[in-house]
Amino acid sequence: MATAAVSPSYARTSSGSPSGIWSWLTTVDHKRIGTLYLYTALAWFAVGGTEAVIMRMQLQGPNGRVVSAEVFNQLFTMHGTTMIFLVVMPLSAAFFNFLIPLQIGARDVAFPRLNAFSYWVYLFGSLFMNASWLVGMAPNGGWFGYAPLTTLPYSPGLNIDFWMLGLQILGVSSLAAAFNFITTIINMRAPGMNLMRMPMFTWMAFVVQFLLVLAFPVITIALVFLQFDRFFGTNFYTITQGADPLLWQHLFWIFGHPEVYILILPAFGLVSEILPTFSRKPIFGYPVMVYSGILIAFLGFGVWAHHMFAVGMGPIADSVFSMTTMLIAIPTGVKIFNWIFTMWGGNLRFTVAMKFAISLVALFTIGGISGVMHASPPADLQQTDTYFIVAHFHYVLVAGSLMGLWGGIYYYFPKITGRLLSEKIGNWHFWLTFIGVNLTFMPMHWSGLYGMPRRVYTYDAGQGWEIFNLMSSTGAYLQALAGIIFAYNIFRSRTHGEIAGNDPWEAPSLEWSIPSPPPDYNFETIPTVTSRYPLWDIKHPELTASVPHSRHGDERNDVSLGGKHVGAFHDHMAAGTPEGGLNPNATQASSKVSLKTAEELGIPMPYPTIKPLWVALFMTLMFASLLLIHKDKLPLAMAGVVTFATLMTGFLYAWLTAPLEPHHH
Amino acid sequence: MPFHPRPRRLAQLALTVALVAFLAACGQDHPDTIFHHRTDVNRDVDYLFKILIYAGTAVFIFVEAILVWTLFKFRARPGQPEPEHVHGNTTLEIAWTVIPLLILIVIGIPTVKTIFKQQAAARSDALQVEVIGHQWWWEFRYPQFTMRSASGKLDTVVTANELYLPLGKTVNFTLKSRDVIHSFWVPALAGKRDLIANHTNYLWYTPDSTTSDAFNGACVEYCGTSHANMRFKAFTVSQADFDSWVAHQEAPAEGAVAVGTPISPDSAAKAAAPRSPLGSQIDPNKNLAAGSTQAGPTVPSSGKAGVGVPPSPGAVNTQVTQAGFVAFPREKMPAYTVPSTPLPAALKFDDNVLASGNAANGAKLVATGMCIACHTVRGVPTMQATVGPNLTHVGSRTTIAAGLYPNDPRHLARWVKNANEMKAGVGMNTFGIGEYDPITKSTVKIGFTDAQIADIVAYLSSLK
Repeated sequence: MATAAVSPSYARTSSGSPSGIWSWLTTVDHKRIGTLYLYTALAWFAVGGTEAVIMRMQLQGPNGRVVSAEVFNQLFTMHGTTMIFLVVMPLSAAFFNFLIPLQIGARDVAFPRLNAFSYWVYLFGSLFMNASWLVGMAPNGGWFGYAPLTTLPYSPGLNIDFWMLGLQILGVSSLAAAFNFITTIINMRAPGMNLMRMPMFTWMAFVVQFLLVLAFPVITIALVFLQFDRFFGTNFYTITQGADPLLWQHLFWIFGHPEVYILILPAFGLVSEILPTFSRKPIFGYPVMVYSGILIAFLGFGVWAHHMFAVGMGPIADSVFSMTTMLIAIPTGVKIFNWIFTMWGGNLRFTVAMKFAISLVALFTIGGISGVMHASPPADLQQTDTYFIVAHFHYVLVAGSLMGLWGGIYYYFPKITGRLLSEKIGNWHFWLTFIGVNLTFMPMHWSGLYGMPRRVYTYDAGQGWEIFNLMSSTGAYLQALAGIIFAYNIFRSRTHGEIAGNDPWEAPSLEWSIPSPPPDYNFETIPTVTSRYPLWDIKHPELTASVPHSRHGDERNDVSLGGKHVGAFHDHMAAGTPEGGLNPNATQASSKVSLKTAEELGIPMPYPTIKPLWVALFMTLMFASLLLIHKDKLPLAMAGVVTFATLMTGFLYAWLTAPLEPHHH
Repeated sequence: MPFHPRPRRLAQLALTVALVAFLAACGQDHPDTIFHHRTDVNRDVDYLFKILIYAGTAVFIFVEAILVWTLFKFRARPGQPEPEHVHGNTTLEIAWTVIPLLILIVIGIPTVKTIFKQQAAARSDALQVEVIGHQWWWEFRYPQFTMRSASGKLDTVVTANELYLPLGKTVNFTLKSRDVIHSFWVPALAGKRDLIANHTNYLWYTPDSTTSDAFNGACVEYCGTSHANMRFKAFTVSQADFDSWVAHQEAPAEGAVAVGTPISPDSAAKAAAPRSPLGSQIDPNKNLAAGSTQAGPTVPSSGKAGVGVPPSPGAVNTQVTQAGFVAFPREKMPAYTVPSTPLPAALKFDDNVLASGNAANGAKLVATGMCIACHTVRGVPTMQATVGPNLTHVGSRTTIAAGLYPNDPRHLARWVKNANEMKAGVGMNTFGIGEYDPITKSTVKIGFTDAQIADIVAYLSSLK
């Protein structure tokens, strides 16, 4: 992390970069919060990965005896919940935090303290949910938590309480962050950074925030119903009182399917950054990439019931959801082709980041094709709830999301820490991951089509599934090994990695124009942007000559229509007089440049504050108190809720009444 | 970049290993594959699946080929000029929007046709079967086959965890759940359909292969602790065998007559006496073999099965022989339909006492013990509960515990002694004295000794 010892690209003054644990607890700097998200999510990845490895040990052969049925059910529930809510979403959030302000040329997010609050809520929520392991009552209803299995008569223990309260807590984190980023992207773009000049990652992040804002309230409602059923005896899902169990499924998947795009679009965004840089070509069909991202998100709200073809919705609903699901393959396919044609004709440099990005393109395609196979309900009825589906969504989420995120880490680690990750170790990480992922998930297509149900803690011998399970388990062990190598690479490179300089990859976007790691105020002067590729404009103006530019930052960008560009071109760029605060020499490894502090530059920076942490902690404790209801201690539970709610409100008041930053002069 | 990192060689090795493993796997049997086409429905699905897999494979090869070609062709070489910056190509982008759309239309039309075909109402002359999901076992009811008990109560043919279907006849399943959501699936016969409380679902198909067969079925919606242990068998048999099976199911269990209240010592003795416990009633293979040698599943039942078979001294199960086909013959069951779940090591039972199990004693223990709280044995007035599986013909079933163990005395005895040890989370109490019962959270004091359990096993095994 950015202590003085690992800030090699420039000498920091102590006031510019406070260190020590207190500085991390009180930070409101989007880059530090992003770093916290990154390492926390990686830690949970180790936990979720360990859960997966234990499951694969159990399933390595028939009639396994490594864990009991109950423990296995807890493992797969927590594996899914952890990987989705505690790993992939926060890893994406790490990049949102770190990159969005840098990519749009801003000094921070719109609400820095709310941003800190989002992180602390995530941390405490994840700790709360995993505390269930310590009392031997980890959630066991599946990550999808279908009612009525999760209702009190069928799950009387605290397991489901930990799960639903944990998800409620995490939902607060995601929603707060989403509103923050939407506000940031809409309001804080540098002059000239109009929407159609935003880097693809920021675009996909923008789309994802809307998905979060629209999808999370739905699961919140579903969970509130469940909370009321379990705590106060209401009958939203009580089958003996005539409840319709499909209510939960519809609500859950109206959230759950957009959630898939919440998990994959940030990775798509990262890949759209990595491929152009290492192809030395701009993204192919930028507007189409943007529109297809929006279209995927939009259609993503109209396909939820394809998770429910087996529940008996009738032929009309089945047909409609089948068609909408097939349609979503079109914008996704467009993205794949546009990526390939971004590389077409380029000078491809196969760095580790590039290899991960290419793997996403190659392997996500497999997940996409099996996805279309599920879109046909009669075929899906033979595939759903078997290992075929497990294969499908792991090709989407591991070979897709995680590959993209790993690529993003290799790509942005130098920006975050100032040092490059080792390419040599990284190659081992990549190839072991690539082989491990395919060896784990490819055979699952076969075990599924040969009739193996999913979510089973054991299976009988002689069903023809042994060889596939053995392969899957072997692949999982390889992935675990890859994970250990990855951890070693991060650990080692933080202190021994090659010094990166501002722009180790010769990338086109704004974040590479500033030192690595960036100073707390990011940009000494807010840059003025005149095209989609501001750094290439400076370094290789001949290459961006055909891109539409504006003379002034605030002019509207031109749109490419029918392959023809309309509008002004950037003769001033070719003359070598960039506008705004971009330093033409910025890309040199200016290792000894002494940066000024924010104070010296007269930039008002937000005060560090501990208050968001307290608010997050008391909110978590407020939710946690509800557990006592099921210990038959209603008065104590209510006392806890009231006490912690009061403390939370008190600290919130203190937070809201304290000034954010010194007054502007 | 002439950069060949060593880890890349791993990929070649892995590819070779994977190929070998797949070839090895291809040689294996895949009994539960969805590619068996034993029903009309599965053939339609297969047609769709083929379109999907061919289209998918074509797209896969096309995309990956372009990708791999791009990677080789355009890798950076020293001294190469900067690439031309191409920002897009509208014609190409329209092409790869429209072509997938055309592919999807090709997939979509037969999809919708098949949806409406498969979800139309079943033929009116279909065999009706009610499937009721329980945590964690299956109840199969045949509402078209009813009979009156001695007390005038209307009963239906009902069984557990074993489904008999006549070949060539459409079967219409009515799917319901008593508790959480389950999903009914025999991969070799058709796709799955969920069982949902307060919902009634339907699923129909026609098993139409020419020979009788046994298939594995399973619950495929996660339903709690023992979801993995909620399996069942489906037997497709000839219409004649099916009729014979129904006739047998309609009759009260042969052993049950003997214990009809009031239990007459005479009849009980008559029912139980001729049996050498291990020789006949305990070894279901033998009885089933006797019943099936004449009336195998493909041979129409003559109604005179048993003729020509020298009755073994123990095989006096008159109803079995009278009824002809009464159960799928165990020796004809393929190996993959016989469960091989290992016995829990912690659970001890003295198998020697099984030989001396007394069915008459067992009948009394069952009809007056805690069994009456959950189970039915038709013909026994005290046994009318419907919480657990109907035991009327339990002796003729091939498996116990929802397909988890073979139905033989060794497994049955341990099941009665400590079902929770045998199957996680099961709702049945523990009855072995000295065993721990997780339901009551105490050690069993009032229960059965191993000898008593042997009696109960002898009785249950006699309920053919």
